[in-house]
Amino acid sequence: MERSKEIDVCIVCHNVDCAARGSIPIGEELTKQLAAAGSSVRVVPHLCFSACEEGPNIVLYPQGTWYKGAQMSDVGGIVAHIQGGEPVQHLIEDVDPALRDLILTMIDMGLVDF
Amino acid sequence: MEPILFTKAPDAGPQTFDEYRAEGGYEALAKALAAGPQSVLNELTASGLRGRGGAGFPTGQKWSLTAQEPARPKYVVANGGEDEPGSQKDRFLMERYPHKIIEGVLLAAYTIGASAAVLYVNALFTDAIAQLESAIAEASTAGHLTIASVRITPAPQQYVAGEDTAALEVIEGRDPLPRMKPPFPTTAGLYGQPTVVNNIETFAYVPSIVRRGADWFRGQGTADNPGTMLFTLPANVRRPGVVELPVGTTLRALVEEHGGGLASGRGVKGVLPGGPSSGWVGADELDVALDREPLAQLGSTLGCGALRILEDGECVMEVIDEIAQFFMAEACGQCPACNMETQTLAKIITQVKNGRGMPQLMDQIPKLAAFAEGKGQCSLVSMPVPPLISAARLYPEDIAHHLEHGVCPPP
Repeated sequence: MERSKEIDVCIVCHNVDCAARGSIPIGEELTKQLAAAGSSVRVVPHLCFSACEEGPNIVLYPQGTWYKGAQMSDVGGIVAHIQGGEPVQHLIEDVDPALRDLILTMIDMGLVDF
Repeated sequence: MEPILFTKAPDAGPQTFDEYRAEGGYEALAKALAAGPQSVLNELTASGLRGRGGAGFPTGQKWSLTAQEPARPKYVVANGGEDEPGSQKDRFLMERYPHKIIEGVLLAAYTIGASAAVLYVNALFTDAIAQLESAIAEASTAGHLTIASVRITPAPQQYVAGEDTAALEVIEGRDPLPRMKPPFPTTAGLYGQPTVVNNIETFAYVPSIVRRGADWFRGQGTADNPGTMLFTLPANVRRPGVVELPVGTTLRALVEEHGGGLASGRGVKGVLPGGPSSGWVGADELDVALDREPLAQLGSTLGCGALRILEDGECVMEVIDEIAQFFMAEACGQCPACNMETQTLAKIITQVKNGRGMPQLMDQIPKLAAFAEGKGQCSLVSMPVPPLISAARLYPEDIAHHLEHGVCPPP
């Protein structure tokens, strides 16, 4: 399926494993930096992306980038990507394409409330 | 049908020591002591008895593996945690036939060379614990506890506490968290020593098998799964409760003849034959034999024989939502894949139930299951999947109505 190039929401996993690796403060920092940049993209918490061992997991939607293992030091790069820059390469290099498809399909089919 | 366990009338009280002796109780122990441990293993293996806790592992093989271990001491654990929703069979058996369990446990201890046995019993089952305590005292007075000591450890009311290695953790004084397997308890169980862990019901068959022989036991049940089995009929049939029937009895006979059909007089829309982790068996599939392979062909399992019956006019969505929420809440939290799967499945079902998903959302369940398959330390990771997948197969109208309207279809 051809995906939209738009990014409306930045979905951050808040489940046990992602939260234990710092996903909640990362989401708060994303919210802060996006607001400071004047972006209309919303940061939305979500329960799980079925990739707990890879977290913290962040999905840019509907465009479809899955960032796995995002750290606080990556927030600036993610915001720059959302603002039209290049993706943060080291967070997308090793993604399992089948798992990425499953994550995006579940969101496409209505798993997440925006 | 010749009962092996329920040899008294259903409304008769607990079987006393004298009553048990009168039907041949504790003769198996004397026979085993005379013939040696290998004779018990031979008879048990030939009988084909499978564990009645849900997994159905061959009991003779489990005991043989433990008997072969050179390490000492060894232990026997009888699992009566019984946290499976809807199941009452272990409780009933412990309350009514405590001596069959005690003799079975002593036979296990003698056969594998164990010095101690633990009865792991749901702490809420106070009557069962009282009956077992009396039976232990009577067996001791009769001189049977020279083989091994027998004590009771109360089990917490938590689903995962019934998993065999979680039970070992509790007996050792820790929280009920399943261990990574292998090693299996047959090699490294209680306190790291070789241990036989079987369901309470499984032990109760052993004295009769040893006393009357494997051929007699094979006279009932199926070739793959001989003997009888306990089933728990739910509250919505005319005669709820625990019944003993040959393995291979049809689901229809269990529900209609033994349960008396639904108390409401309505038709059966579907049945979960083996607890909440089994798959639905549809109304036109009720002639299936209650055995492992026939149920597997329908995407279901025999489990511990605890039935849940969906009635005509009821919506499956409420039930599968409850099941998905149950497994999410009962996951112990140790394994990321299990956290992921149980929570994502619960979310999928909630979204569909509330009319907030697309039809393809249900199609993601098998893919999600494939990602999580085998990744947990216990089997809970795969437990919510069969009832959800089978509901999508059998009741697409219920699901479609929820997707469109967010509520159950009219009855």
